[in-house]
Amino acid sequence: MARTLIWIIAGAVLGAIIHLSVILALPALATRDVWSKVTALNATDAVAVLPEVKAGQPNPLRLDPGLAYAVCQVDLRKGPGVVSGVLPQGFWSLAVYNRAGAVIYSTTNRDGIGQTLDLGIFNAAQTRMLAEQQLDIAEGLLIVESAADDVFAVIRLAIPHPVMRPRFEAALKDIVCSNIE
Amino acid sequence: MRFLIHLLVMIVVALGVGFGLSYFALTDGRLFGALRVGPWAAWPDVGAPDPNPYTSAFLSRTGALQLGASEGVEFIASHDSEGRTLDRACQYTLAGTTPVATFWTLQALDGDGTNIASPGSPLEMHSARIVRAEDGSLRIGVGTALAPYNWLEITGTGSFVLALTLYDTSVFSSVGSTVQTLPSITRGQC
Repeated sequence: MARTLIWIIAGAVLGAIIHLSVILALPALATRDVWSKVTALNATDAVAVLPEVKAGQPNPLRLDPGLAYAVCQVDLRKGPGVVSGVLPQGFWSLAVYNRAGAVIYSTTNRDGIGQTLDLGIFNAAQTRMLAEQQLDIAEGLLIVESAADDVFAVIRLAIPHPVMRPRFEAALKDIVCSNIE
Repeated sequence: MRFLIHLLVMIVVALGVGFGLSYFALTDGRLFGALRVGPWAAWPDVGAPDPNPYTSAFLSRTGALQLGASEGVEFIASHDSEGRTLDRACQYTLAGTTPVATFWTLQALDGDGTNIASPGSPLEMHSARIVRAEDGSLRIGVGTALAPYNWLEITGTGSFVLALTLYDTSVFSSVGSTVQTLPSITRGQC
């Protein structure tokens, strides 16, 4: 009996090792992660407005039906990224994600930036050039430093009433998302 | 023979513990990483630049666009306040108050994250579009049968989850409101 117990304990220890391996390996092995879903939207250097959430239909990105979403992917190897535009009155927020789907920067328009969105995304080398004043950027640009070159930005816009959705989505479409040459 | 049986037992235990624990930890995070308040659970560092390993695994597994730490936080409830799984055959009442936020939304979802609102009815409850009691507290009925005050009409059968998303909230700043003020979920008639 004691022998069996030892085998079971050994199994539990092995199980704990498997558990930790699964948790640590999952981010590297996942194929349907948020980065691949965003890449499929073809939103490089342009914003893609995500389709409206409908009842009974799959919602792989887990979007909130009360919001409109704009996504754009930026490759910092081609130069610093810029996201700019004017958004309608109301609540909006912005998040910059890395390849793993973790948010490296987020803010809302309550932080005093009002209706104008002007964001620059710089990698470590570009940030250094910025500090050395070798890069010319517009004044008032919100600067985000990213450790990696693959990033994407998501702009969330709260829709005060469903009938306003087309107008709000049109405003999202006009957002400029590209690299600073 | 005895050795083989022991080896088999060990392997079964190892696989069961290893994968079972991983699945359990990442499904609703009741073991690690998640913050639990009554029936509600949230991953506090899901919107942080450097999430912990459990949160990273959760991020990869769900593949969802998570809210950044300063944008808001999403609470998920898959059980009522007494710990019973939420079932579409029952009526539920959410009562209480919510932490301070610019606004919040409440959705009913199935296991895959699909919205299960009844066709033709609003997809979610919005904090700006509900009736409240005189003291500002809320009362929301969730179910397939008509409920008084605010009714989130759902459809279908089987289990479901409730997602309460607080936007621009001070929940984790330890200033003003605390996270302890989430509404309770009471099961009514089934």
